[in-house]
Amino acid sequence: MKCGIEIHQRLATEKKLFCGCSAQPSEEKPIATVERMQRAVAGELGDVDLAALHEYSRGRKYRYQIFPQSTCLVELDEEPPHSMNGEALEIAVEVCLLLNSKVVDEVEVMRKTVIDGSNTSGFQRTSIIGLGGFIETSKGRVGIQAVCLEEESSGIVGEKAGEITYRLDRLGIPLVEIATSPDIKDAKHAREVAEKLGMILRATGKVQRGIGTIRQDINISVPEGARVEVKGAQELGLIETIVDKEVRRQEKLVKIKGELEKRFGKKKFGKPAMVEVTEIFKNSASKLLRKECVLAMKLEKFAGLLGEELYENRRLGTEFSDYAVAKAGVGGIIHSDEKLEKYPITGEELSRLREKIGAGAQDAFVLVAGDGKTCERALEGVYERTLQAFEGPQNEVRRVLADGGTAYMRPMPGSARLYPETDVPPIGISEEFIEEIRGRLSEMPEERKKKLLKVLNEELAEKIMLSENYPLFEKVVGELKVEPKFVATTLEETLVSLRREGVPVEKLNENKLMELFIEYKCGKFVKAAIPEILRYISKNAGESISSAVEKLKLEKMSPVELKQIVKEKRKSGKVGKALIQDIMREHRLRVDAEELSKIVEVYP
Amino acid sequence: MYSKEIQKKLKDLGVEIGDSVRVKRGDQVHEGILMPKQELGDPDAIVIKLSNGYSLGLKFKGSELEKLQGHKGIGFKSSEEKTKRIAGKPLISIISTGGTVASRVDYATGGVDASYRTSDIVKTVPELGEFNIDSKFLFEIMSENMTPEHWKEMARAVYKELKTDTKGVIVTHGTDTMHFSSAALSFMLRDLNKPVVFTGSQRSSDRGSSDSFINMICSANFASKGDVAEVSLVMHGSSNDDFCYAHRGTKVRKLHTSKRDAFKSVNDEPLAKIFPDGRIEMTNGNYRKRCDGEVSLDDKLEEKVALIKTYPGMEPGIFDFYIGKKFKGFVIEGTGLGHVPTIEGHSVISRIREATKAGIPVCITSQCLFGRVHDFVYANLRKEFEAGAMFCGDMLPEVAYVKLMHVLAHSKDLEEIKKMMLTNVAGELNERTPVLE
Ligand SMILES: [Zn+2]
Repeated sequence: MKCGIEIHQRLATEKKLFCGCSAQPSEEKPIATVERMQRAVAGELGDVDLAALHEYSRGRKYRYQIFPQSTCLVELDEEPPHSMNGEALEIAVEVCLLLNSKVVDEVEVMRKTVIDGSNTSGFQRTSIIGLGGFIETSKGRVGIQAVCLEEESSGIVGEKAGEITYRLDRLGIPLVEIATSPDIKDAKHAREVAEKLGMILRATGKVQRGIGTIRQDINISVPEGARVEVKGAQELGLIETIVDKEVRRQEKLVKIKGELEKRFGKKKFGKPAMVEVTEIFKNSASKLLRKECVLAMKLEKFAGLLGEELYENRRLGTEFSDYAVAKAGVGGIIHSDEKLEKYPITGEELSRLREKIGAGAQDAFVLVAGDGKTCERALEGVYERTLQAFEGPQNEVRRVLADGGTAYMRPMPGSARLYPETDVPPIGISEEFIEEIRGRLSEMPEERKKKLLKVLNEELAEKIMLSENYPLFEKVVGELKVEPKFVATTLEETLVSLRREGVPVEKLNENKLMELFIEYKCGKFVKAAIPEILRYISKNAGESISSAVEKLKLEKMSPVELKQIVKEKRKSGKVGKALIQDIMREHRLRVDAEELSKIVEVYP
Repeated sequence: MYSKEIQKKLKDLGVEIGDSVRVKRGDQVHEGILMPKQELGDPDAIVIKLSNGYSLGLKFKGSELEKLQGHKGIGFKSSEEKTKRIAGKPLISIISTGGTVASRVDYATGGVDASYRTSDIVKTVPELGEFNIDSKFLFEIMSENMTPEHWKEMARAVYKELKTDTKGVIVTHGTDTMHFSSAALSFMLRDLNKPVVFTGSQRSSDRGSSDSFINMICSANFASKGDVAEVSLVMHGSSNDDFCYAHRGTKVRKLHTSKRDAFKSVNDEPLAKIFPDGRIEMTNGNYRKRCDGEVSLDDKLEEKVALIKTYPGMEPGIFDFYIGKKFKGFVIEGTGLGHVPTIEGHSVISRIREATKAGIPVCITSQCLFGRVHDFVYANLRKEFEAGAMFCGDMLPEVAYVKLMHVLAHSKDLEEIKKMMLTNVAGELNERTPVLE
């Protein structure tokens, strides 16, 4: 097996890659839409890019949603791109250095033809920032082919009758793409590599977090198989399954090819006729078949093959159906290796059908219902896929399904998809620029973890090392000398549980948290008071920590006050541990347990 | 262009643009096709296109270059296919003058080239297969470089087409000065009998999202089926790809640097709404109808006309400069209702008076574009008028500029010139200003 992955990670820059719009996630609502068409454009030497043509043949309209802070004329393809965002370029160079990749001398921005409508311009701007490199894994080095900096596409909102709606707030957010060499050994290894790359990216502290901000594409081929690109895996947990199922699918398709060679020998598979059989199903009990038109196609000598299982819940027939869906937008097809009773198709209908299309026991057939033109296009798709069965697996792009299986999406695009973006001048990258970034490079995850394990347990170390709060953690521990475990717990556990409670902790910025630790260091309050203080400050972000502590009456008790309480409690006859427990129960939020036990020890 | 050093090295090695090369740099080896250098790139960096389609910039210094087998032709090859006329399809003419409409991209360099062979055009816009097309290459000029001489050539070429059995003529044009050309042809082609349609595109046709496809399709429909025997300009009507407007050639202006719907009718309703499916909805009842009459060509222009914008603090000596250069006419783009500075030291009034005395007409238009100028409502306007200025109603400055060239080629008499300037010839003057844009 040959396997490589591509990681796409959104960067946490302030602005987008080629315009001044905000690149940060927001809760904005769309304020307007524009409607556009796109078409395949003639490529090099007049030939039209295959992938582009495929999308065009689907003749769709695109509607784009406009957002106030994150859409301008650039996203609308109504204004040329501005110059490349320097912040994004710096992050991309940093990623190259972390991956031992060689940064190019001059960045050449390219246009990559995209005609699914996800880019208003019909192309995505992309450029190679680094070439080569590697990461270490448990199964040896995995090479890096290239690190690219590109524009994020628009987010899909929905699709209905020939019209797709996209949101433009996402379009143009900087995206780093890392492509590994096909060095991945197996399914488990694929997951490890994806995890590792994700960690390195997060360690820069400059990438977006959350759903959809990182995506994996997986390239897989088996011997005698083909290059298949599986697009858009968002969950790391699925990667193993995806690789495993795709390997089995390709292996099975190779076997089916062998079987077809046996059945056909040197004989060619001729183009079967599309036969109209609407009449047979005119009064069918199946609603699916009582349509304006039902077309049938005989697949000579294919009996049994359409029912061959590639992996759980996917048969060769499902692959045929994918093509009909992709080419004609039909719901699916019916084929002879299915349980036809379920539709239901009666024995009589079946024999009339077989007779009409001349299908014997060794032949299979495919049925499709709908309007005439659509049925024809669907069967064209089936025919195309049938011919491919003789060649084995095809180079193609597939999309991930919920169970880790995949479905056909489009043919593999050729390199004709890329041509220079003449609206953006090439950007020279100097040695000095690279060295400056090398000078402030974030540590590799392993190094950081090793350092953290000296002061934290493994669980906490792993949490904080990849956290967006890591820079704050370092500052508090380094500058204020607050104990690391306490800082990590506050940032990674206390804040998380408050968020789960519904406290708006996102209102707490780095400065506020810094203020909290300073006041703590000065002895203003005890650890136990922190959740209460944060809860209050989240809702009253304008107030200072010290005034919050006063309002909440959470000031740490002074030794004098504490001694007084100890004295009082003793009168009730309590001593030692019981005494401490009693006081802590009543004054937990204002008393430091260690301090209390010292007082109890010193003044027995 | 590559640096001299690189060019020399390439020559020594016998390497040409498009050749397969290997570039070694330290322990790195890259193979690809040698690309031409973009204008703005570092001339000391070699650019190669890798097999994955990406281009790569590599510093030449410290690199070793080696020629490999293989060469890729970079640039355009026109198809030699002849297109036959098919009976029943309407015949239209397309005259190409430059700009990126119906152009092709060289996917190696990103360069864009205007198609002018019919087969290339139809390949780019397959919907045009519904028409029999006569396509002519006139010149390839960026629209900012057009001169009155080009307008004359355009007028002659269009005139020639109009004399054939074509249903209408399309002129593809760069967008920046398309409204100057449409105005010029409006005056030079008299008694039009068929539509003459200018069109262009704001987004180059290499992208799937280009506006050129719909602009071309709508233009073809308007030229072949439209009833308007005038010079019009057909471009996107909105930011959506839903319809185009046909604007009157003398009442239209580019009003945005980059949007698809950059052209707007000014002081007039658009003539028609045209949909990509071929439907035409008339939106202005006032137009010249298609007819059987004979069109005539009047391509005389007096080119020594200046268009001058007034603004606070301007130097009126600019008029002396032009007069010294023997200019024969002025169009002033005044402020508001047609004002010019009258304050001492900056006053334009004396210049208007001197010019008029010397028999040089001075026409007043407004840089507001929308609305009409007035010669009376303020004292300073009356001063201009008394000095001899001709107030050009709701005529656009660019249109007045072109018209004055045309008028001056036909008369030297100030009174006659004034009469001609203020008489509507091609829809450039409206008595009524529309309420809605
Ligand atoms: Zn923007």
